[in-house]
Amino acid sequence: MAEVMNSSEIDWDALTDSELDVMERRIAGKYMRIVPWGAVAWGIGNCLVWLSLWPLVLMGYLPLWLGFIIATLNVALSYLPSHEAQHNIIAGAGQPLRWLNELIGHVSTIPLVYPYRVLRYTHYEHHKHTNDPELDPDYNVHAKSDWHFLFKSILNRQPQSGRSGAYPNTLKRTGNGHMMMDAIIYQIIYLVVMFTMAWTGHAIEAALLWWLPKHIAITYIEYYLSWAPHHPGNETGRYRDTRAFKSYWGNIISMGMQYHIIHHLYPRIPLSKTPAAYRELKPILERKGCDLGALEH
Amino acid sequence: MEKLITWFLSPIVFAIGFLTPLIAQVCLAMGWITSTPTAYGIGFVIAISFGLMAQFRGSWLWLKS
Repeated sequence: MAEVMNSSEIDWDALTDSELDVMERRIAGKYMRIVPWGAVAWGIGNCLVWLSLWPLVLMGYLPLWLGFIIATLNVALSYLPSHEAQHNIIAGAGQPLRWLNELIGHVSTIPLVYPYRVLRYTHYEHHKHTNDPELDPDYNVHAKSDWHFLFKSILNRQPQSGRSGAYPNTLKRTGNGHMMMDAIIYQIIYLVVMFTMAWTGHAIEAALLWWLPKHIAITYIEYYLSWAPHHPGNETGRYRDTRAFKSYWGNIISMGMQYHIIHHLYPRIPLSKTPAAYRELKPILERKGCDLGALEH
Repeated sequence: MEKLITWFLSPIVFAIGFLTPLIAQVCLAMGWITSTPTAYGIGFVIAISFGLMAQFRGSWLWLKS
């Protein structure tokens, strides 16, 4: 068994499958139990910036076109801090910073109008049943190509699409149906705000600060978090249900999802640490038969 | 209560509550229509047409998955 942790000195091909497993867990362990303070600041800061856009635009301090661009960025960036909290990366149950974990989980997705508990428990099912047509709540996002994804994403948002029933059905199946009340409350508050804004003469502001950014952001988030890392999505199993991929737009624009395979293998590794973990785990992932695409580093 | 919530979250309510004033205010802001009542009337007709399609066909765009 190779005890040396310098990967360049390890003869990976000499290791047995179980030795690779041990090495994999040992390397992954180095990147866990790290509080992602960047994600904490990101979650709160992003939500505060988005909230500040409303008075700034309505009082004429910020042009609406600029507010629209910033709002779209805010809503697109609102999911990932909550995702860290969903996996208890900031703090697990019983730890001193647990309150912060839950705060980030709840606050960061307000612009996206998705409640934390709904996201958390459906996301766990996605991890448990990735690419399973019956049990993966994100299966409807699968598509043959980028353009097919975009087409499906629009159709998925229609009132009677299969996608609109995916999360409620998953929650019901897992005995968490009562959590749909969170989603209903969020939706009612969202609609009351939109209707009030619209009928008091601010429909265009409401559309460009929340409604349209939300739709653009959902497409963007589903593309990079659900479609791209699981495409073509026809395999299940620990090493085959998620892939690494090289994004044309780089790691930041693709929201770190080039390394999503690391997240599925070790969900407690913070997003910011997945590139480093990938680089170190790559020799093992290659030998485990993972699809690493063209992602070298 | 459940019926009231279902009604509030329905496409028709969204069409009246948001799309009608949005279409009207876009028409007024772009100068396509100068009369406010006319703008809201046109906004209502367009919005409710889409709202009814979404309500009864299940899609705002006619196309379905």
